[in-house]
Amino acid sequence: MGGGGGVTRRLMQGSAAVAEAAIAAGCRFFTGYPMLPFTELLECMAARLPAAGGVCVNAASEIEAINMALGAAATGARSATGSCGQGLALMQEGVAELALNELPLVLFNMARGQQDYFQATRGGGWGDYRTIALAPKDVPEAVAHTQLLFDLADRWRTPVLLYGDYVIAHTSVGIEVEPVVFPPLPPKDWALDGTMSGTGRARQIWTWNRGKPNTPGAGPDAAWKRIADKYAEIERAEARHEARDTEDAEVLLVSFGTTAVFVDRVVEELRADGLRIGSFRPVSLWPFPGSALAEASAGCRAVLVYELNAGQMVDDVTMHAADRSVVRSIGGVSQDASGMRQGDLLDLGALRARVREVIGR
Amino acid sequence: MEREVLFTGVGGQGVQIASRTLATAAMDEGRQVMLVPRYGGGMRGGMTNAELTVGDGPLRALPVAAGAWSAFVMDPSYWYTVAPRLGRHPVVVVNASLVTGPLGLDGATVWEVPAASLAAEVQSPMGAGFVLLGAFAAVTGLVGTEAVVAAMRQLVPAYRTQHLEANERAIRAGADALPALASPAWAGAAA
Repeated sequence: MGGGGGVTRRLMQGSAAVAEAAIAAGCRFFTGYPMLPFTELLECMAARLPAAGGVCVNAASEIEAINMALGAAATGARSATGSCGQGLALMQEGVAELALNELPLVLFNMARGQQDYFQATRGGGWGDYRTIALAPKDVPEAVAHTQLLFDLADRWRTPVLLYGDYVIAHTSVGIEVEPVVFPPLPPKDWALDGTMSGTGRARQIWTWNRGKPNTPGAGPDAAWKRIADKYAEIERAEARHEARDTEDAEVLLVSFGTTAVFVDRVVEELRADGLRIGSFRPVSLWPFPGSALAEASAGCRAVLVYELNAGQMVDDVTMHAADRSVVRSIGGVSQDASGMRQGDLLDLGALRARVREVIGR
Repeated sequence: MEREVLFTGVGGQGVQIASRTLATAAMDEGRQVMLVPRYGGGMRGGMTNAELTVGDGPLRALPVAAGAWSAFVMDPSYWYTVAPRLGRHPVVVVNASLVTGPLGLDGATVWEVPAASLAAEVQSPMGAGFVLLGAFAAVTGLVGTEAVVAAMRQLVPAYRTQHLEANERAIRAGADALPALASPAWAGAAA
């Protein structure tokens, strides 16, 4: 997790860097309710967004935040909100409405640990949808993912999620946030523009897609089938992963987010000891990079899943590993005393010991 | 080369601004840095730690330190969270105004600084954290005293500028309290 690079970079906390990245990506509406470790992102957006011509609102609750953010997104503004997993739990109805109304929104989960994998990947509200979820391993990647997510949200017209954590939100490194240029997007000809009913030009955003008396919509059956097809297409197009030293690996370590930087170090150490070990990291938690994992795990005698929860991603790993009988969970629930971040298992020594115990050396 | 500093104290002692000041000073001197604060929902009196890595090239440090080179101890309450993460011969700079018991470390070089009383002597009663920071920087040479002062001036917010002079007096009092470069951070550094 290096700061890397030249000395002209600024020392920035992860939350400040993510805020700069969101603004560089064109985010002009942000709202949220303070909850550690999301609070600093809200503070940074409140400090920076008005000068960039945007609006930041400290909401009275997470439910208010998601619905304000939905309203801003419906006008075509690049809009975002967030919380930690506890607050995102409250937002799930709004996320479902965003998905089924095909509204782009970026959600930031500055999580208190790794226990929100199911929440991030399964769709937590009602209806047939998922959220594209990217899990950066460090601050520079969180900056890159933030900008990418604003593009993906607009390109696919869907809510998307950044799975950060306490470490990413609070770690300061020397970094420079440069705006990234993405390919052109289609015009937002669906956005509400304030035109009133009676003009014949008023637009409508409605989950049931029934339209208006003289311009009927597709209705829920056709609309939701099309949306389901869209998510199938996203699943084919947007899976991202990182694989290291997998060509000859007989042991594969799988992790996501911050834990991956510890996994890569252990792989380096054990490789130096002569063990044929590699690592695999889903960069997108959804879509899960299943076929890449199948390829990376081919021929492995052990696929070890290191996640700091009771076993969530291990379901996806088991579903896609070349041989599901060799998948084994080596993580576990681990919170520090404050409850705000990962606990003692987020540690090189702890990980090394667990790997050695399982592989018997 | 990378040097790690583990900071520990309780909320209200200025541990967070001390760690950020040191990180900023190191950055301004052209080093690479990574600063990982660690605190919970509590404010005054709760655990407030930070881990800082300073290097002269791209960092390999992980966001949870192991085998750290040094420690900055404002208060003994959460010392137990830091001690196991130190290396074999760490440099430990302690606020002797509050840390009075044994640290329980073999092989450490321990520098005691009566930070609270020195802060009071220079009419900077809230500046004990900056006293210890000035002392740490002087005895290790991790960064220069002038860089610490300049970083403090950058970081103190506009509504606190009335404390700039007192903070600077605190940093300089700390720098005078320990022998310069007696535990040098960088090879080739000389007193």
